[in-house]
Amino acid sequence: MYTLLSGLYKYMFQKDEYCILILGLDNAGKTTFLEQTKTKFSKNYKGINLSKITSTVGLNIGTIDVGKARLMFWDLGGQEELQSLWDKYYAESHGIIYVIDSTDEERLSESKEAFGKSFDTQPGFPNCLSVPDIKTAFSDCAPKIGKRDCLVQPCTALTGDGVNEGIEWMVKCVIRNIHRPPRQKDIT
Amino acid sequence: MGGFFSSIFSGLFGTREMRILILGLDGAGKTTILYRLQVGEVVTTIPTIGFNVETVTYKNLKFQVWDLGGQTSIRPYWRCYYSNTDAVIYVVDSSDRDRMGISKSELVAMLEEEELKKAILVVFANKQDMEQAMTPAEVANALGLPALKDRKWQIFKTSATKGTGLDEAMEWLVDSLKSRQ
Repeated sequence: MYTLLSGLYKYMFQKDEYCILILGLDNAGKTTFLEQTKTKFSKNYKGINLSKITSTVGLNIGTIDVGKARLMFWDLGGQEELQSLWDKYYAESHGIIYVIDSTDEERLSESKEAFGKSFDTQPGFPNCLSVPDIKTAFSDCAPKIGKRDCLVQPCTALTGDGVNEGIEWMVKCVIRNIHRPPRQKDIT
Repeated sequence: MGGFFSSIFSGLFGTREMRILILGLDGAGKTTILYRLQVGEVVTTIPTIGFNVETVTYKNLKFQVWDLGGQTSIRPYWRCYYSNTDAVIYVVDSSDRDRMGISKSELVAMLEEEELKKAILVVFANKQDMEQAMTPAEVANALGLPALKDRKWQIFKTSATKGTGLDEAMEWLVDSLKSRQ
């Protein structure tokens, strides 16, 4: 009886889990973006001092709840040699946030290359959301993106402008995307 | 009453000592790292049988650092030290390609422990001064770190004898421990 009730309870209040990858070249602002998102979407979260963020050589995680969805973020290191670790996460991710440093024109092509490569290695890539207004530079990636939902959202991770809009769009899309259902948690 | 005030006082001003474990296979350089952190010098070490424990203060944060012996026969005893651990520093000898597999399985077994679920993981790809050292990305792959999906982790290239990389690693550790509080 207890199992039945607790199962029912979990069924009613369980949140759908979606995994979101945050990718991009080193120094694009991925970790800052993640910290900003966590600060904005979770109550009484005291983020770390944004100026203290150093380059990531590994994985940062974050979880936020938006409505009935629970987003789990994986923020990976963006240095060239660390990009080899990215593909290990593709199979389980529901969305990508690709962060680009809009002030760094020199590395735009490098960023594009890394972006394109990630679609080559994993054709099952889900939705995609990237940051500044550089659609034209990335236009030849369009065939690779294909039918996936994609939004270019200008934002400033440091101040948090544009972060909310981006995340809300992302939530809407991962819920809508029937091709990759939320992570199943066994109801026991 | 006195106890009450003292507990408020320590809650306000005193910082709890962070408990950190340094783990890794034998000969990875754990003891050298511990003393490099504490006294800032390279000390001559012998294989640790048992443990070394030292208090290290870094950026106003007090750490109680436990360095446990890494030989095969005493690895089963690591688990006795897991409770209340805030962070694990896992040291790997980057030039020892043959034993990466063993290092991986020890790490995986360790991370499955319930008591370490909340602990932050820092991997030191040590002995980077050696010529045949693997890069941090190679080490991360060899240790199967990308399989960790619900834990924050970071890998640093270090050389305990040269003293490189340790500062960055500790700085990151301090920041992430502080933000977790």
